[in-house]
Amino acid sequence: MAESILKLNNLRKVYIVGNLKTAKKAQKEIQKLHKKYERICCQEGTAYKEVEKELDHAQKLFSEEKYEESYTYLTRRGIKRGRRDKGVVVHALNGVNLDIKSGEMVAIMGPSGSGKSTLLNMLGLLDTPTTGQIFLRGKNVTSIKNSKLPNIRSTELGFVFQSFNLIPTLTAIENVMLPLKYSRTPIMERRRLAEEALDMVGLSDRMHHTPNELSGGQKQRVAIARSIVNKPAIIFGDELTGELDTKMTKEVMQLVVDLNKKGQTFIIVTHNPEVAKLCGRTITIIDGKVAK
Amino acid sequence: MIEIIKNMWRRKMRTILTIFGIAIGILALVVMGSMAEKLNLLVDGGVKYYQDKVQITSGTMGMSLVPLKLDTKAEIEKIDGVGYVSPIIYTTLEKDSSAVSFGPPASITAGDMNAIKYESFKMSLASGRRLTNDDKGKIVIGYDLVKKLDAKVGEKVKIRGNKYEVVGIWDKTFTAPDTSVSMVLSDGQQVVYNDLPPIIKSSVKPSDIVSGFVAYPKKGADPNVLAIRIQKQVEGITATGPKQFQEQVVNSVKMFNSIIYGIAIISLLVGSLSIINTMTMSVSERTKEIGIKKAVGAKTSSILGEYLTEAGIIGLIGGLVGIGLGALIVNAINTAMEKNGDKLFLLTPRLALGALAFAIVLGVIAGIIPAVHATKIDIVKSLREE
Ligand SMILES: Nc1ncnc2c1ncn2[C@@H]1O[C@H](COP(=O)(O)OP(=O)(O)OP(=O)(O)O)[C@@H](O)[C@H]1O
Ligand SMILES: [Mg+2]
Repeated sequence: MAESILKLNNLRKVYIVGNLKTAKKAQKEIQKLHKKYERICCQEGTAYKEVEKELDHAQKLFSEEKYEESYTYLTRRGIKRGRRDKGVVVHALNGVNLDIKSGEMVAIMGPSGSGKSTLLNMLGLLDTPTTGQIFLRGKNVTSIKNSKLPNIRSTELGFVFQSFNLIPTLTAIENVMLPLKYSRTPIMERRRLAEEALDMVGLSDRMHHTPNELSGGQKQRVAIARSIVNKPAIIFGDELTGELDTKMTKEVMQLVVDLNKKGQTFIIVTHNPEVAKLCGRTITIIDGKVAK
Repeated sequence: MIEIIKNMWRRKMRTILTIFGIAIGILALVVMGSMAEKLNLLVDGGVKYYQDKVQITSGTMGMSLVPLKLDTKAEIEKIDGVGYVSPIIYTTLEKDSSAVSFGPPASITAGDMNAIKYESFKMSLASGRRLTNDDKGKIVIGYDLVKKLDAKVGEKVKIRGNKYEVVGIWDKTFTAPDTSVSMVLSDGQQVVYNDLPPIIKSSVKPSDIVSGFVAYPKKGADPNVLAIRIQKQVEGITATGPKQFQEQVVNSVKMFNSIIYGIAIISLLVGSLSIINTMTMSVSERTKEIGIKKAVGAKTSSILGEYLTEAGIIGLIGGLVGIGLGALIVNAINTAMEKNGDKLFLLTPRLALGALAFAIVLGVIAGIIPAVHATKIDIVKSLREE
């Protein structure tokens, strides 16, 4: 049994669009309680069970759009919805539990707007969940200080995006060296590692090209080189083949599969069943929840 | 670093215009500042010159050309505390000094050469020798007049219609003596006498003419107290001590300086607004890039550093260009005015370095708001952007 590398516990992300005061207030109370829960959940005893129950109930009320009740339940105080309180609450993620093992290659599928990108951004520590916990190699990273996140991003995580997201003024090799620059790798080492990574994606002859001198598939391979250069624990790909044609998709996915065979963990959001087929496991997200 | 310069070069026109904005501000600072520096030196020289003696002129303060009677000398010498009195002739080098001049115009000074023993404002020679009271028909000239008079030690030059032999050239002092010709008292008296209107000529002897006196106090006597005493006891004169000079000249120069620097700094502030503008635009154009950099692990400090450096470089280049242009202008005007034996500007190293440091600091300060803005960019939002 492989080691668990990423574990999610009841992950939620709530967007409150507009000026819905009751929802905002209720959400604030829920987050407060969640902080308390985080503080005591690693301690001995059963006190945290109580808190967990309370939290669950408040969140249930909240997701049923009973914001006033949720608030009252937590604070024992009443609030009323004002006339000008208008807005929408989006439950982009509504209690996601996941366990991903080291060396896995996981596909995340689901309809548009179901929360896949939101989930991936949480996992990759690009965004913070409203409530819930993320454990990276058993370590709770949701309670980590913001100032420590960049370091984790540049040493443990890699990203590949649908729209490549290369920096247009930098050459391929400079783009690949970027994470190393931020992890303070010595410059000579940076160059060597970047050359190695570009070699691995088969682009050693395009090192000094800028992104607009490269094809879509080549750009995405540069992006993959950038994501593997710091030897991260996990690489996240959000529709990484979304802008590529069938041939280039194959090309890029072949690379991903090869890297996975060498032990690299991948979590890939995709709409393409062909891509999902290549993955060892497929997780389907519907309405912000993992579909059973 | 290379990346930052590349980034700046992405919007060539905008960067150039911004740099130009700063350059103009620095140019103003350099040119105005050179003027102030020159003025400061003149005044410093003046303060040193006036340090421990009392200047006596007829009428109001300053160097007067209305002749004083030589008899006054005896009157001053009698006053308690006066150690030595030297009569002075002071007149312009040209008969009609119509040329616009900054600071003291090119001049002739003549006096008692023995007074040097009492003088604390010691002048050194670049070449040749000093005058003695017997050196009739001989002169020592100021450093800046060498070119104008085309003079060499041992050769003769023509001044106010008479020929004089140059026996020495003063070292550069950066103040009034640089544009001054020294001669013995009787020669100076003759120069003034020659140009007096005929009616007056008939009523005075050349040896009666003086334009003023310098009274050297006895050891231990306060020149300021002495100035007041002389003023009280001798009629029809103005006695100026060091303190009065200080009050009248130094204070007004200070005022002038603040106005000059004020103007330059305002133009610089306007320039720095354009840095804020440019940097804000750069940041909003590069929102997505900043998001990418953060996603791959850029720390707040890296982003901050990147943009502050960019702003600082704009300041640096603007400063260098401004100082360069300023130096050109200052030199051009100085060269043009050299014929008058007068230099309007003095670009000192401290001014140049100060202006450069100021440009960089201003750039960095102007970069703070946009840079902080850049660090606050939300990764997810910026990556969603197209
Ligand atoms: N900043 C935001 N403010 C409000 N709502 C948001 C925000 N970001 C995302 N959402 C909402 O969250 C839900 C999930 O969005 P997400 O981008 O995760 O979907 P997705 O599954 O990636 O869809 P797609 O397959 O089309 O990329 C959507 O309903 C979206 O409208
Ligand atoms: Mg998406």
